[in-house]
Amino acid sequence: MEEEKFIQELKDGKKFAYSKLIELFEQKVFTTCISFVPNKEDAEDIAQEVFVEVFKSINKFKENSKLSTWIYRITTNKCLEFIRKKNTKKRFAFLQSILGNEIPFDKTQYFTEMNHPGILLENQEQSEILFKAINKLPEDQRVVFTLSKIDGFSNKEISEITNKSVSSVESLMFRSKKNLKKLLENFYKKNM
Amino acid sequence: MKTTNNIHEKINSTLSVCDTIGDVKVSPFFKDKTMQRLFEEKEEETVYSSWFATKLQLATLLCFVVLNALALIRLNSTNKYDVNVNESTNLYGLFYDSETSILINLKDE
Repeated sequence: MEEEKFIQELKDGKKFAYSKLIELFEQKVFTTCISFVPNKEDAEDIAQEVFVEVFKSINKFKENSKLSTWIYRITTNKCLEFIRKKNTKKRFAFLQSILGNEIPFDKTQYFTEMNHPGILLENQEQSEILFKAINKLPEDQRVVFTLSKIDGFSNKEISEITNKSVSSVESLMFRSKKNLKKLLENFYKKNM
Repeated sequence: MKTTNNIHEKINSTLSVCDTIGDVKVSPFFKDKTMQRLFEEKEEETVYSSWFATKLQLATLLCFVVLNALALIRLNSTNKYDVNVNESTNLYGLFYDSETSILINLKDE
């Protein structure tokens, strides 16, 4: 009942309702963003985009799920959108370099240019390797692994955010761990 | 064998990095910046939409089209009326002008 009233205030565009919404969700949305995109500035930009999207689309919110679930769903989609754009830019730059146009290009630049204040200095190198490997996973496995292992969501919460059953989340989690181990094994074999 | 063990150790320690990642606090200005962005966009939108809403814009356009269509129809029918009057005056030797018509009548007398 309380949530329904709050959602109605958001739909009416009340300023105090948005102020309360940001207070309630800014930290959690930002934490999810920095789990996907390990760079503080980019994560903040994406988090801001999330609230803009909530503001624009609140009238389309059908209240089939909890408001928080809907917001985390938007957050996940915005992060994936950002990563996709970055990867497309990298591909484009790669094509440009093939065609002979001089663009400074580093294949691994984005996911090694980490600016995650939560990572301890002694773990910096390993974190970079891990995030690079996570970025190589298929999208659905990447989402489930990040939400579970880095962001700390439960399987039930992940199933609500991703609109998947708990069993398929568990199966994706199993496959993501297996693939990550394979990717890391290949990496260490090459670099030993 | 030793190398394989080493690799497995490294994989496990890399995966365990996930548990050591600490919380990062969001910037203290985040809320203000976001609120400003949200309501700036809304104000821009309301400049146009507050009194001249989309429905009103459509209604105005419809009125304009209908009025123009009516004026065109009326103009065409007025021309037809003039043509008909001219035809009938020529046919019966009658003219608009009252002086001329009096003169004609006098001549006839």
